[in-house]
Amino acid sequence: MSFARAACAAIAAMLILAACDQPGSDGRDRVVYRHAIDGMPASLDPAHAANVYSSTLVVNLYDTLFRYRYLSRPYELAPNLASGMPEVSEDGLTWTIRLRENVRFADDPAFPDNRGREVTASDVVYSLGRHFDPATRSQGAWLWRGKITGLEEWIDGGADPDRRIPGLHAADDMTVVIELTEPYPQLAHTLAMALSAIVPREAVEHYGREFGVRPVGSGPFLLKQFDETRAVLKRNLDFDRGALDLAAEGHDPQRHAELGLGSLDGEAYPFIDRLEIHFIAEPTTRWNSFVAGEVDNVMVPPEQADRVLDSHDPLRFSPEIEQRYHTLAEPEAGFVLYGFNMANEDIGHHPDEQIDSANRALRCAMRQAFDWQERNDTFYQGLGQVFPGVIPPFLDAFDPALDAGSTARDPQQARSLLQAHEWTPETLPQLTYGLEASVHQRQMFEQFRARMSAVGIPQDRLRSRSFASFGDFSRAIANRELDLFLMGWTMAWPDAQYALQLFYGPNAAPGANSFNYDNPEFDRLFERAAALEEGEERTALYRQLNEMVIDDCVHIGSLSRTRLHLWHRHVRMLPDREMLGGYFLRFVDIGAAP
Amino acid sequence: MTPRIELLRFITRKLAAALPLIFGVTLISFTLTVHFGPDPAYAMLGKNPTAADVAALQRELGQDQPFWQRYASYLHRLATLDLGHTESSGEKVRDLLGRTLPVSIRLLAPGFVLGTGLALLLAMFAAWHRGGRLDRLITGISVIGMSLSFVIIIIALQAVFGVWLGWFPVRGWEVHGPASYLAHVTIPTLAFVLASIGYNTRFFRAMLVNAMSTDHVRTARAYGASPTHIMRYHVLRGCLLPITTRIVYSVPALAISGSLLLESHFSIPGIGRVTYQAILSGDQPVLIAVVGLSAVAFALTVTVADLLCRLADPRIRLA
Repeated sequence: MSFARAACAAIAAMLILAACDQPGSDGRDRVVYRHAIDGMPASLDPAHAANVYSSTLVVNLYDTLFRYRYLSRPYELAPNLASGMPEVSEDGLTWTIRLRENVRFADDPAFPDNRGREVTASDVVYSLGRHFDPATRSQGAWLWRGKITGLEEWIDGGADPDRRIPGLHAADDMTVVIELTEPYPQLAHTLAMALSAIVPREAVEHYGREFGVRPVGSGPFLLKQFDETRAVLKRNLDFDRGALDLAAEGHDPQRHAELGLGSLDGEAYPFIDRLEIHFIAEPTTRWNSFVAGEVDNVMVPPEQADRVLDSHDPLRFSPEIEQRYHTLAEPEAGFVLYGFNMANEDIGHHPDEQIDSANRALRCAMRQAFDWQERNDTFYQGLGQVFPGVIPPFLDAFDPALDAGSTARDPQQARSLLQAHEWTPETLPQLTYGLEASVHQRQMFEQFRARMSAVGIPQDRLRSRSFASFGDFSRAIANRELDLFLMGWTMAWPDAQYALQLFYGPNAAPGANSFNYDNPEFDRLFERAAALEEGEERTALYRQLNEMVIDDCVHIGSLSRTRLHLWHRHVRMLPDREMLGGYFLRFVDIGAAP
Repeated sequence: MTPRIELLRFITRKLAAALPLIFGVTLISFTLTVHFGPDPAYAMLGKNPTAADVAALQRELGQDQPFWQRYASYLHRLATLDLGHTESSGEKVRDLLGRTLPVSIRLLAPGFVLGTGLALLLAMFAAWHRGGRLDRLITGISVIGMSLSFVIIIIALQAVFGVWLGWFPVRGWEVHGPASYLAHVTIPTLAFVLASIGYNTRFFRAMLVNAMSTDHVRTARAYGASPTHIMRYHVLRGCLLPITTRIVYSVPALAISGSLLLESHFSIPGIGRVTYQAILSGDQPVLIAVVGLSAVAFALTVTVADLLCRLADPRIRLA
C-alpha cells in the first residue's frame, strides 16, 4: 500500500471514529450564556463547595436558604429558599426560618418514579447534619461545630440522621428551628454559602461517592454535562421565584445605567435557556477565547492588564475597550499577607518577656523593611490596594483613618529596631520561608529577601522551602514547619469577623490561625465582638482587634488585588465572583448579538 | 519447532519478563507519586480543622498504614481492577478513564500519524539531497522547530487561526460529528506536528544518511535503480529498526505527557490533564490507576517493539 493510500485510510478511519460521537446539544436552547472561570470545581457536592469554582456551580444547581442581593454593595442578604429573613429570638439563641412552599427537587432516578419531591425543613436539617458524618468529608463542618445545641453529643453518638439533633430540627414541614449555644450573628451568612445548600437524602444515599458528579437540587439550573473543561446547565423549568425586583436587588438607575438591566425588571428569571461554564485556567487561552467570542466574559489576566487599561492610577479602561465591551474593575473580597509562625520561639511568642519583646522588634523590623508598593507594582500591575491590618477596605469596619505606617517601607526604622534590641547578623535566627514551587513564588521570595537584606538581615538567614502542591504547603503550615509564608484569604461573608478569626487562639494550626497567634486578650475581645449584632460597638471592637494584630506585628500586610472584568455588549449582567459567588448567573440575560 | 510456535513462545517469554518490569515501574511510581506525593488530607479539609479531624481523614484515606501494606493494597487493587472512586469528585476512576482516554487518543492520533509521516518524508528528501540546498533548508527548519517552545507554538496558532482568521475554535472539545471533530482537532494537531517534526526529522535523517552510505545502497545506485526504489527497498528497510523503536517507544510517553500541554491550553478533557491534576492534588486512586496502567502499557510496548523489530529484521533471533 502506498503512503498516500495509507494516509487516506487513516483519515477515513478517524472520520468514521468521529462520526460515532453523540450530539452535544439540542437545538432548542435559544438563549445561551457562556461563562468563563479560571479554575475547575473538583466536586459538585455542596459539602465540598469551599472555593469559588465549586460555589459558582453549586449555588446554581441547589438552593441555599439565603443569598446575596444581585446588585447591592455592600453585600446584603436576601431570602432564597427561605420565604423571609430569619426570626431571631431576643437573646440571639433561637433562629426560626420558614421555607418557600412548592419548591421541588429536580426529577431524578434517586426518587420513586423518578419524580422530584417538595423541599422540606427536614431536608435542611439533613443537609446541615450530613456535614458531621465523617463519610461526607465535609469542608464546611467548622461553620457550625460547637455552635448548635446538642450537636456534639449527636456527633459522638454516630451522627445518625435518623436521630434528632436537639438544636437543629424541623418544627413542621416548612419551618426549621436552630438553637444556638451562644449568639452567632454570622449564621445567616453561613446559610448563604454553597456549603449549606440543600440536598435530598435520597440522592446522597442513591449515588454514594458519586453524588459529587450527580447533583440533584432545586436551583435555577439542572446539570446536563460536566467534565474537566466545562459544565453545561439547562434552565430548571420548575424553578419559580417570581419576578425580578430590580430595586430590591439594589439597582441604582444611575450607577447601573450602562448595564442595560432595566428591561429585566418584573420578568421571571432565569432568563437564559442554557448556561455553559467553561473552566479555562490558562490566561492566554481565556483571553483568546473571549476575543474570539467563544465565551461571553473574561476576568482579565494580570499580564493582559496593560492591553485593556489606559491608566492605572486612576484606573481607566482604554476607550477602545470601553466601546467594545462592558467593563468592571473591583477589588477582590479578600487579601494577601505574610504571616509569622508565632509558635516558633525564635521569632514568635516567648515565655521570657525580654526575648518576647526582641522577637516582636524583629518582626516589626521585617515588616518595615518590606515594600508593599514595590510588590504591588511588580506583581499586580500597581492595581492592588495596600491597607494596614486585615480588615479590607470593602468592609464597613474598615477604618480609613487607621495609620498606614505598618505598610510603608521604612528601612531606617527597621534598622533602629534591630539595633535597639541588639539583633546582629550573628544573633538573628534562621527562618524558613515556605512557598509553592513556581517561578512567580520564587520571584516573590527573592524580592522579599532582597528587601530584608537591605536592612541588614543577611540572605542566609532566610531559607526558602518549596512545595510541589498547595496541599503540601498547607500541611507544612498546619504542622508549624514554616516560620514565614505568604497566604491569601478569601472572605466568605462580608464581616470582619471572617478575617479576624485568622488570629483567634482556638483556631491555631491546623485551623485558620496559621500564625498560631496566642493572645488571651485578643481571644476575649474576639468572642465578645463575634456575638454582637452589626453596629457601632461591634465595629469599634473589630477595629481594636485589628490594631492589636498590627501592634504585635503578627503579619506583614495586607493587599487586596483588583479584578478586571470584561463582557460582551450583548450580555446584560453584573458579574460577581466575590463571597464565593455565582448567584448573579440566574439574572443574566442575552440581547441580540452585534 | 515451527515459526508460529517459536513466535508464541517468544511472546510468552516477553510477557513473563514484563512482570518484573511492571513490578519495578509500579514500585518506583508508587513511591514517588503516592507515598512521597502530596498529602490530600490538608487540601480536603475545611478552613478550621482540628488535629483530630486531620488524623481521622488520614486514617480514612489509609495514610496511617505502613508503606508495604499500602503498596500491597495498591497492587491488589490494580490486579483486580478495583480502581475505586476519585478522592476529589467521587466519580468512579474506571468511568473517568473511560471518558478521558478516548478523547486523548482522538486528540493525539492525527498529530502522531501526520507528524511521524511528514518527518519521515522530509528526512528522506533531506537525506537524498544530503549537503544540498534542500537538505540545508529542511535541517534549518527542523532546528527552528526544535528551538520553538511548544507553548509558544500553541499560543501563536490560537491567535492566528482562532482569533485573527477565525477559522477554528480557540479551544474546547464539542465533538459530535466529523465536522466538529476536524474543527477541534486541527489546531492541536498542527501544534503537535510543528513541535515534534523537528526532532523526528533530524533523527530520521541521521538514520537514513547512515543507511545510504552502506555498500549495498551504493551498489543499487551503480546498477541504476531509481531513487524511489533505492529509498523504499534498500534505505528504509535498513533503518526500520531504529525508526520503529523510536516510534513505538514514544507512544506511552505521548499518551500521558504529550497530551498535557495540548489538553491544558485547548481545554480538552483528556487523560493528561486529569493525571496532572491528580498529581497536584494527590488524588491517589487516579494516580494508582494511571501509574499502574502506564506500567502495563510500557511493558506491552516493549514487547510490541521487540516483535516489530523481529518482523523488520529476520536476523534478530527470537531469543
